[in-house]
Amino acid sequence: MSPDNLDIQNSLDKDLIASVTDLKVYFESKQGMVHSVDGVSFDIVDGEMMGLVGETGCGKSVTARTFMQLVQSPPGMLAGGNIKFRSKNIKNGSQVIDLLDLSENQIRELRGERIAMIFQDPGKALNPGLTIRTQVAEVFQEHRENDVLEEAGLKNKLTGVTEYFVKKYIKQEAGFLVTTLFKIPPLSTYKKKIDSGINRLVAEALEETQIPNPTKVMERYPHELSGGMKQRVMIAQAIACNPDLLIADEPTTALDVTVQARVLDLIKELQKRHKTSVLYISHDLSLVRRICDRIAVMYAGQIVETGDAETIFNQPKHPYTQGLINALPSMSHERGKLEAIEGIVPELIEPEPGCRFVSRCMRRKANCEEIDPKLKPISEVNKSHKVACLLYEA
Amino acid sequence: MQIRDYIIRRLMILPILIIGTSIIVFALTRIGGSPIGIYLSHEMSPAEVQEMKERFHLDKPVPVQYFYWIKGVSQGDLGWSGVASAPVVDVFPKKFAATMELAIAAGIVAVSLGIAMGTFAGARRNKISDHIIRVVSVSGASMPLFWFAILLLIIFWVWLGWFPIGRSDPNLFEAIPHPTGFYTIDALLAGNFSAFRDAIWHLIMPAVALGYGATAIIARMMRSSLIEELQEDYVDAAKAKGLAERVVLKKHARRNALVPTVTVIGLTFGFLLQGTVVAEIIFRWPGLGRWMASAVLRGDQATIMTYVMFTSILFLFVNLVVDIIYAYLDRRVVLGD
Repeated sequence: MSPDNLDIQNSLDKDLIASVTDLKVYFESKQGMVHSVDGVSFDIVDGEMMGLVGETGCGKSVTARTFMQLVQSPPGMLAGGNIKFRSKNIKNGSQVIDLLDLSENQIRELRGERIAMIFQDPGKALNPGLTIRTQVAEVFQEHRENDVLEEAGLKNKLTGVTEYFVKKYIKQEAGFLVTTLFKIPPLSTYKKKIDSGINRLVAEALEETQIPNPTKVMERYPHELSGGMKQRVMIAQAIACNPDLLIADEPTTALDVTVQARVLDLIKELQKRHKTSVLYISHDLSLVRRICDRIAVMYAGQIVETGDAETIFNQPKHPYTQGLINALPSMSHERGKLEAIEGIVPELIEPEPGCRFVSRCMRRKANCEEIDPKLKPISEVNKSHKVACLLYEA
Repeated sequence: MQIRDYIIRRLMILPILIIGTSIIVFALTRIGGSPIGIYLSHEMSPAEVQEMKERFHLDKPVPVQYFYWIKGVSQGDLGWSGVASAPVVDVFPKKFAATMELAIAAGIVAVSLGIAMGTFAGARRNKISDHIIRVVSVSGASMPLFWFAILLLIIFWVWLGWFPIGRSDPNLFEAIPHPTGFYTIDALLAGNFSAFRDAIWHLIMPAVALGYGATAIIARMMRSSLIEELQEDYVDAAKAKGLAERVVLKKHARRNALVPTVTVIGLTFGFLLQGTVVAEIIFRWPGLGRWMASAVLRGDQATIMTYVMFTSILFLFVNLVVDIIYAYLDRRVVLGD
């Protein structure tokens, strides 16, 4: 993150925290190149909750993982686009960087620190072999060595070689030999102080997500906790460093319905309190409406419609969005057959030009199969409401 | 259940298992016929033969013979070894130490190399280094020990002359005491460094030959379970915390990948003991395996029974240790139920 990155190209509207432009992520497969994310563009407004909605396999998770460069390569490859991100590190002031331009070490500094992620299934996203304490502690050890030193009462008290090795030990960069040395006197006194410092930080973080009895919970292994509790641990871990952007990848999908609501409220509350921007990924439109300020609807690797939540719900323009909203069961309708969108999602292997939705669209026009619709503002009045559909192109 | 309680419980079951094993061992050995042949010579008269039978209680029914055997064993009498021309109990400890030294050395080679190779290959899946390790481990798992051992012997002893065969240079080892029977440890206890070097030098070739097959099995198991673990969500979650690749691999993935590998390591121990027979014959290692081979050929039942009993007990202990390590590695394991 050198000052060179602060050039004109990396400018970002003042009210945005991140902006994705024409993002393309492809996957190699034996049948051909799979265009999982194919020209996705959307903005995340600072301090807001952005919902990314779409059905399974439409590329929403891949989009989210690209923010952290977590897409495995191979088979995945970045085929184009950029993600501009405003990193608000207090020390260096805020600066705009392209997340896809960063080296492994640079993105590592941001992961868990400026951008954090909550995963779909907390049962799988926590390591079964390590205690909660060990796992949450890692965030502090990696990004908050000074806080750890301060909590341990060692700040400004160490010098030279000792300081060097203590820091290495905290950051888990020490080799086997040094780590072993910290287990035996005289270095073990430092280890004790560091451990109790970390314990306090971890307990504080767990308390933040309303986990009862944090000092007890942190000694447990993941399998000893309930699903909702595990997700709270994941959230505590994600917000531990107070990130600028929190990516929540279907964080309630794997939970019981009763727990879902509570976890959702927790995320919303934390978002408001810390003014964190959130990218909330879900397949559940009504859930997203409840908590998100703005929504982007994704279909087959592309954004088909984006705008603020109420507009999308009350005046959906894209035939796919309209179909989705029609398909929602509603209290005001009579009981009866649920509406559904006919057909299935098209293959994303080397897709043909033209609208991806054409085969299922009830309102298709003659040239829909030939022309790629572009995501454009629908009216002069509300420029944030954009649709990618030929019906609305002049 | 606490690990300590579990160990105590397992140790309490151990005697029952050992008695069961002893019955099976005795019965199976006796199927081979009466062991009297080993005690007789051509010059003996029928009366003398009868006298020998009575002396060793071989005129009694087989179940009664079993109790005489157990009685002898409990008094420290394991019988007479015709092959060694000495009481089994006198020869056994020395031979046992020799074999254990070889098996443990081979085990160290197999476990350290196997885990290292498997981790390396698993973390670099489908890269060149992975392919090289695959070739090495497939050949290790498929080459018969007797063939690979002879290959090593020809290359490193006959052609290059880098490594000796046998167990030691007698000139060096006659002078020092043998409190443990492990030549490497004895040499260290005596503070004789050149003897230590000599013991290690003799140990390398047979240990590598014997450990190669087990190395291959462990490496393959480690590789595949590591690859499986690396696909897990918690690996991505660990990366999303900003952890270095090294920490993700060593602290998160490798530890969980070790769980299935440890089971395999326990099983390989049996594989190693079995291999000592071949390795000892080829490398002229004066251990149990070589003794056993001639005992089987000559119907030396006292030796066979002792050997089988002892390795069975050893195996029971190794399995216990494996279960404990398993519980330590995988906290979801509930001991005892």
